[in-house]
Parts: sequence; C-alpha cells; structure tokens
Amino acid sequence: MTDTDSAAIGQGITVSKTGEQGAFGGELLTINFGPHHPSTHGVLRLIVDFDGEQVRRLQPVIGYLHTGIEKQMESLRWQQGVVVTDRHDYLSPPINNLAYALAVEKLLGVEVPERAKALRVIMSELTRLSSHLVWMGTSGLELGAMSMLMYCFRERDTILDMNEEISGFRMHTSYIRPGGVFADATPRFLEMLDTFIRTMPANIDEYEALLTNNPIWRRRTIGIGRLSAEDAKVLGATGPMLRGSGVAWDLRKAMPYSGYENYDFEIATSDLCDCYGRYLIRIKEMRESVKILRQALDRLPDGPVNVDDRKILPPPREELETSMEAVIHHFKLFTEGYTVPPGDVYVAVESGRGENGCYIVSDGTHKPRRVKFRSASFVNLQALERMAMNHFLADMVAIIGTADTVLGDVDR
Amino acid sequence: MISESLISDRGVSAGDSWITVAPGEVRVALTGLRDEGYRLLVFLTCVDHLVDSSREWPARYEVVYQLRNMETRVQLRVRTFVDGDPPRVDSVSDLFPPANWDERETYDMFGVVFDGHPDLTRILMPDDWVGYPLRRDYPVGGEVVEFSEEHETWQTAPDKA
Repeated sequence: MTDTDSAAIGQGITVSKTGEQGAFGGELLTINFGPHHPSTHGVLRLIVDFDGEQVRRLQPVIGYLHTGIEKQMESLRWQQGVVVTDRHDYLSPPINNLAYALAVEKLLGVEVPERAKALRVIMSELTRLSSHLVWMGTSGLELGAMSMLMYCFRERDTILDMNEEISGFRMHTSYIRPGGVFADATPRFLEMLDTFIRTMPANIDEYEALLTNNPIWRRRTIGIGRLSAEDAKVLGATGPMLRGSGVAWDLRKAMPYSGYENYDFEIATSDLCDCYGRYLIRIKEMRESVKILRQALDRLPDGPVNVDDRKILPPPREELETSMEAVIHHFKLFTEGYTVPPGDVYVAVESGRGENGCYIVSDGTHKPRRVKFRSASFVNLQALERMAMNHFLADMVAIIGTADTVLGDVDR
Repeated sequence: MISESLISDRGVSAGDSWITVAPGEVRVALTGLRDEGYRLLVFLTCVDHLVDSSREWPARYEVVYQLRNMETRVQLRVRTFVDGDPPRVDSVSDLFPPANWDERETYDMFGVVFDGHPDLTRILMPDDWVGYPLRRDYPVGGEVVEFSEEHETWQTAPDKA
C-alpha cells in the first residue's frame, strides 16, 4: 500500500498506513470488498484491513444506491409519496407504506377502520415472511446451501402472487395508504391466504431440516459475528440484530401500532449473539408471523377499509355518476391533493430488519416539507465492524448476510 | 428532567413531546438526557425552514434529535435552531454512537457542520459533490441524468451546461 493508493481511494476513508505491523509480524493488508460483490446484497463497498486473514479494521462505504427518495418526497403530494416509500426498502414495501401512512394519519388526526388495520397487519406479516425468505435463500446460497434459494423463493412467489391478487402489483404494492388501504381483500385472496397459512408451518420445518442441524451451516455461523447485548444497544441496532443478542425489544410489543396489541405472539430472542442466533430468530419470527396471520384471518372484522373522509380519499366510482359534490372532491384530490396541518411527527414500525421509522414535517401545504426515513439497515450496518472484528475474510460473508441490510434502505 | 434553564421551549406535536434547546447547549442537554435514561438516539436529522410561512422560525435550520428511553418507552424530540454559513452544532457522536453516520448524512445533505465529529465527510453523495441536496434551494432535476441526450451535451461542454 503506497500513499498514492490511499489518496486515490478517496477522502474520508481511513486505510492502513504504509508498513503498519500486524500481530502476526506481517504488514496489514488493505482489501477492497465490493461494491459489486454478489454477497453484499446490493452495492455495499467495504474497505477492510487484514492482518494475515483476520479483520482488523473495517470501513463500510455506502451511497451507491442513493436515489434521493427524501428529496423526491418533498416535491410529491401527500398521496403520491406512498409510491416512493415502496422503493427504499425494496424487500418490504407494505411495511414502509405503513410507517408513512401512520405518520400522515397521525398528523391528520384520523383513525382507520378495524378491517383496514387487520388488512395492514396481514400485509405486514406477509411482507416480513417474504423478506425473511429472501434473506434465508440468499444467505444459504452464500454459505453453500444452494438449494435454500429454490425452497425459499418457492414460498416467496406465493406471497408475491397474493400481493398481485390484493393490490395488482407483485413487489411495489403501494397497498397501504394514508386513510386506509388501496382496496378490500378479494375472496380469492382470503382463500390463498388460508392455504398459505395451512401449508407454511410444514415449509418452515423443511427449511429447518435443511439448515438447523446442517454441519456446514452450523460451522459457518456458530460463534461468528458476535455482538453482545450491551454493544447492540449502544450501537442502536434493532430487529433480529438486537433480539439475536438477547434483548427482547420488538416495536410490535413495545410500542404497538395498527392493533398489534390484540394479537397473541411471542418475541423471538436468542442469547447466542452470533450469526446462528440471528438465523434462529428469523425462523422463530416466521412461525410467529404465521400465528399472527391465522389470528388476523380468523378475526378479520367486516366493514369499510377506508376512512369515510372525502377530503383525504376519493369517493367511490359509482358516486361520481350521480353526485356533483363527489366530482368536485375527486377533482380537488387529483389536482391539488389534500393539506396536512402543520407539525411534525415520528412513527416507527417493526420491519423484517428492525425499526423502520418515518419522520414527517408538514408546513400545512399539499406537499411534505421534509420526510426522513429512519431505516434499520442504515443503523445496523454501523455494527458491522464490531461484528466482523478478528474474523476471517470468508466469515465476513456470513456476517454481512445475517446483518440482513438492504442497500436501498441504507442509501435511500 | 434536565435543568429547566436549558429548555427554551417545549410542546407536543401530534402526540410527540419535544423540547427546544440553544445550539450551544445541545451537548449539555443530551448528556443530561442520556444519563436520565434516554439511552437510544433513534435518529438525528435536519429540517430546512427556508420560506416556510406556516409558523415563525427562529432560524433557517432545525437540527432534530429523537431520543428514546427503552425501559419506560418514552420518546422525546430535542430541537435546536441554527443559522449561519455553514450552520454549526456540536457533535454528539461520542455520546450516541449511531449519531456518527447520521451526522455525516446531515452534513452531506444539509451542510450542517458538526464540531468535534471524528470524520465529517460525505456519506451518500460522491466525495467531490458540490452543494447540499436536501436544502430547499437545491433544485430537483438540477442534475443531468446520465446517458440521456442532455448528458451528451453536458459531457462535451461542462461549462455551458
């Protein structure tokens, strides 16, 4: 490593100084990992100093997927912003929608009907399942369990089919909106959901049969990427990263939203504090999600799925043909949108990765003054150095994998 | 609660309680609040109040700290108003480790300088970027889209773009 090399890497990145000695007598070696490495789950670049083959210093370099989502939100009307929220954490769009919708509703002071709340819970849990499935499939693939990807994507595809049935879109559903949801669940959706709930526990058993006692998987994950409970708390980690370190913190229990206080489920925790612990947590969470889905489907209340407020949501199609007032409301909503009282609010929801929050400042106009997404991945990624310290290069893949960061969520 | 003399204003916005402190006293206030149990800094960001007639603002930039006590589950928002070019606030990255990247992001997007930050550089935008994208006077669409027709023109004559 020469001084010119370190200058070329760019300002703000600390690299090992020329000739810095490692504990094994050799020089520290700086290696660039990514941004196009397939195991970085997006485009994450790491600058790592190795002593022999052990990590001594690690600096994540992010921003490769920065799309200016927060800036875009400022030029979109309140109801248009939903579409953009889908796209920052692209593995859990309905949960992002939910954070935004809850924040806007809190500023507006409206409460959605019970059926809408239940449908929101159903979509959130389906999303959590599909996000965990993608995580398990890709992490399995990276650590040598190739078939995991096939098994996990099989069930994920069922979930995407359900997304399509209920919202018309497979991935970026924009299903949850301020004031309610896009449309009521179709009978076919409820049927698909029922079949899914009945078959999913056996599928989770199948994943466990493939991984939990798999000697290769255990060797690659047990004792790797340790993060103590104290470290996890201090570093602000949330989600499976925090619960994997034995801290029972889940926003669905701690600060319930959208009626989660009415469902019976457990918080998955593990005292292993390593990659294997985080894997067990996600398996347990998937089982709990299925439990929540069963309760939500069985108790799905009847009634409207949107607030009855023509100032926020357009009138039904049939009303437009008979009512002049409905036409006016429709026209006003789709030309200038609605206004939100001035103020600021922060709402956090639990996504598959941790706390996904939305901080909104309104100046009383048709567009937000500022929208800030507090993304779990952005904060969790800061714990990467602590987890990877003194591990081998090959273990970094397991550590990045189980941290489950979505780079779209990190860079927004 | 921290010393009342530090708090210049307080209130509740849509159910969230907040306090305002002077920019010079952010560190003192946040140290006090952390010792009281607000151990988690949920996020830190900035709001640009340029030409916002809905309310009276003491200064253009508002730096916001969202704190949470994980035992009592109480949240508190600390706000401070800063002006100047560049606006300056003391860094709290040694008090709350997650603030490290949040402060870098706020610097990157708003140009708020956090005094005492160990490595205050751009985090999301490229290192050689000029301007602070989330400021209200930074236009949307001001950047030429790569590989578009305009981009070709821009590539040939950067000074005339």
